[in-house]
Amino acid sequence: MKTYLAQRLTIAVLTLLGMSMVIFALLRLAPGDIVDILFSTAGYVSPSEKQAIMKELGIDRPYWVQYLDWLRQIGTGDLGKSYRYDVPAWQIVRPLLPVTLELAALSMVFAVLFGVPTGVVSAVRQDSTLDYVLRVFSLAGLSMPAFWLGMVIILGLVTWFRWIPPLTYVSPTESLKLHAVQFLLPALAVGYRSSALIMRITRSSLLEVLREDYIRTARAKGQSGRVVVWRHALKNAMLPVVTVIGIEFAFLIGGLVVTETVFNLPGVARFLVQAILWRDYPVVQNLVMFIAIVVILSNLLVDMLYGVLDPRVRYGS
Amino acid sequence: MTRVRIAALPASFALLTLTLASPATTEAQTPKSGGVLNMMLREDLAQGFAIHETATISTVWPAMPCFNNLVLFDPLKKTESVDTVVGELAERWSWQDNFRNLVFFLRKGVKWHDGQPFTAKDVKFTFDMLREAADAPAKLRINPRKDWYANVEAIEAPDPSTVVFRLKKPQPSLLLMLASGYTPVYAAHVPPASYRTGCVGTGPFKLKEWRKGEFVELVRNPDYFVKGRPYLEGLKYFPIVERGTRQAALQAGKLDVSFPGETTKTAAEQLKAAVPQLVVTPYNQNVSDNIIMNVKKPPFDNPKVRLAVSHAIDRRALVRAVHQGGAVVGASLAPKPWGFWGLAEKDLLGLPGYATNPADEKARARQLMAEAGYSPEKPLRVEIVTRAIADLRGHGVVRDQRAEANRHRRLAQADRDGAVARDGDAWGLPDRGEPDGYRPGRPRRELLRELRLRLSAQLQPVLQRRSHEDDRRPVAGARPEEAAGDGLRDPEEARGRRRAPHSGLEAGLFHRVAAREEPDPAPVHLQLRTDAGRVDRQVASFAA
Repeated sequence: MKTYLAQRLTIAVLTLLGMSMVIFALLRLAPGDIVDILFSTAGYVSPSEKQAIMKELGIDRPYWVQYLDWLRQIGTGDLGKSYRYDVPAWQIVRPLLPVTLELAALSMVFAVLFGVPTGVVSAVRQDSTLDYVLRVFSLAGLSMPAFWLGMVIILGLVTWFRWIPPLTYVSPTESLKLHAVQFLLPALAVGYRSSALIMRITRSSLLEVLREDYIRTARAKGQSGRVVVWRHALKNAMLPVVTVIGIEFAFLIGGLVVTETVFNLPGVARFLVQAILWRDYPVVQNLVMFIAIVVILSNLLVDMLYGVLDPRVRYGS
Repeated sequence: MTRVRIAALPASFALLTLTLASPATTEAQTPKSGGVLNMMLREDLAQGFAIHETATISTVWPAMPCFNNLVLFDPLKKTESVDTVVGELAERWSWQDNFRNLVFFLRKGVKWHDGQPFTAKDVKFTFDMLREAADAPAKLRINPRKDWYANVEAIEAPDPSTVVFRLKKPQPSLLLMLASGYTPVYAAHVPPASYRTGCVGTGPFKLKEWRKGEFVELVRNPDYFVKGRPYLEGLKYFPIVERGTRQAALQAGKLDVSFPGETTKTAAEQLKAAVPQLVVTPYNQNVSDNIIMNVKKPPFDNPKVRLAVSHAIDRRALVRAVHQGGAVVGASLAPKPWGFWGLAEKDLLGLPGYATNPADEKARARQLMAEAGYSPEKPLRVEIVTRAIADLRGHGVVRDQRAEANRHRRLAQADRDGAVARDGDAWGLPDRGEPDGYRPGRPRRELLRELRLRLSAQLQPVLQRRSHEDDRRPVAGARPEEAAGDGLRDPEEARGRRRAPHSGLEAGLFHRVAAREEPDPAPVHLQLRTDAGRVDRQVASFAA
């Protein structure tokens, strides 16, 4: 187990290193840079002033120097200065992280709490009316983009109740109720898609398991239907579901980009789009790195869970 | 830099934009103190509060309440003009030496938000920095409006409450530039770069907090020099990127007013239907829809093709279909009666593509295209780069119309950064007055200076009659009157033709005339409008 973990962590670090190169390169491949944007908002161009600002920001240096500089920054925990805001990038990035993590976690909790039970019900009551209703519902979830759903929620709220969630972040200590509403609605919009996916995987995986010999044996021994499903079948059926949850978590962050924008939540995803438009390299690089770390860690966690769920899966010798 | 020549062809409209306000009454009433005004922003502040380092309304709008100008266009007046300039930090002002000395008599007892006293030194500091005087104590990182002050020879502060702007040549229009929202006075005792992150001003509101991407909060300045003002306790600006969410927030009452230029006629009608107590006030903005062509390379190096494009655009249909009637056909400057300098109807009708019969115009376009060697069998394909904002529908319409003239345009959407970096055939900018695409290079700077002086010459006779004449007390060191009237180069002036005063003029010219940075000294093609009654029909040629 320890060797396996060490291996996985080494691979994770290498992956992140590769990611950092891709992030760095892609950002610089995008046309224009912060200085172009600054002059664009000022409405004129002066090559000498442009040179001076590039020098001031350090983006006149060769790419490899800039890249190594960034790696050094990550190593030392100093993330550089935001080009756009003229303050340390960390100061910008830090308050965004908990917002996005909370939203992502809530969405996932919602997706699992909704997706797994409905998947089980759908499998157990295969081909019943209830099964069809739930399947249509989940298909709808897969078909609706989160931002659209988010917009519909906002429009619905404003049309029927003349109310929308707060425009700025409300901390739980300020008002727990508003905080909950502020996060639950977007979590619902984002989690719906994931819950639909989880529901469908749970259903098909459980249907497969329910046809296995050992389930018939359990039934033959006279165990109740509930025990058979929840104790014997579900645990084995969860393996693909856990995989999907892990992958979904990564997709979820992508879904948050638009949902945070629609709900005006000050999270990583919404800020990232703005930072990209401004070519604010220090902010973008570190935010994307943060997302990469979250994705890699969630995958690692999923792999660890396999061992817990399936005794046959054992890592290392 | 690519060899891109840009001529702005006229597809210009003054947009009628709508402001929204609630609650229901806007009629004059006794002002009540208290309350916070909640407002929307389309994006976070671009450069903090550093108005002098940017030209975008996303900075100017939320930053202005923190600052004061020397003089300002009276915000209560609907149209800005030389007649509506009022004092802010300057209590009074006086033109002396035949418009070569502009003397400001400053308010006394004004304090910066950090408690330091405001003096003439701050004014000298700000404008020496802006004009990049040799002995300026500070320099801006980006200085978009340096040329506004090209005619300023020296700025003197003979005593703490007097400032003298000494000009190289008479330039009455300088006052109008000083009255613009782009001209706040910075504090001499804080570094100019600090305005990108904070704000030390003298204005009615002080910065309380700027949570990046979330909100900007300004609170009442209790020491404001106008006693009893401001009435509001504070201002709060919320950057909301998503247009639908902005509207929903307005509808839900989370915001009190819309963003300038944000609410189109259609949107306003929808909002009014949804929330009847909203107050919708139509107002005018000088914003034009532009197509900018690269006249240095085919196909737009051919004047016939450019002319054909202008003939092919049915401007009235564009106003009806895209702006839902919320716009007016005009040329560069705001059409009458919204602006002073808009073209008269008969002059407009004479412009290519402005005639009332679109069929004739299209036939003319077809003919021109045929002359240029294009036909339905051999159509011209060009690429237009646009900005990814909602108004792009307009360019779809333009495309359809031009298809009739045997041309097809592939619309390439690009965000504005892409547009900056790109070298396409043409840019279709549903322009909000931001000069993204037009960039004045050095050759044009000369031109702009020249133009400002000419315009000043036109303003001069009007200003000479103005009431501020009674304020002509002599100032220590002011020039004697001997230089009167020299240095003017306006031929119209020489012929004795005088015109009405105008405001907003500089900004209008800046946008229209400016073009991209040009390193090479070839002649520059620009479309020029020199005054209200006359338009240089085609592009004018200037040696750089």
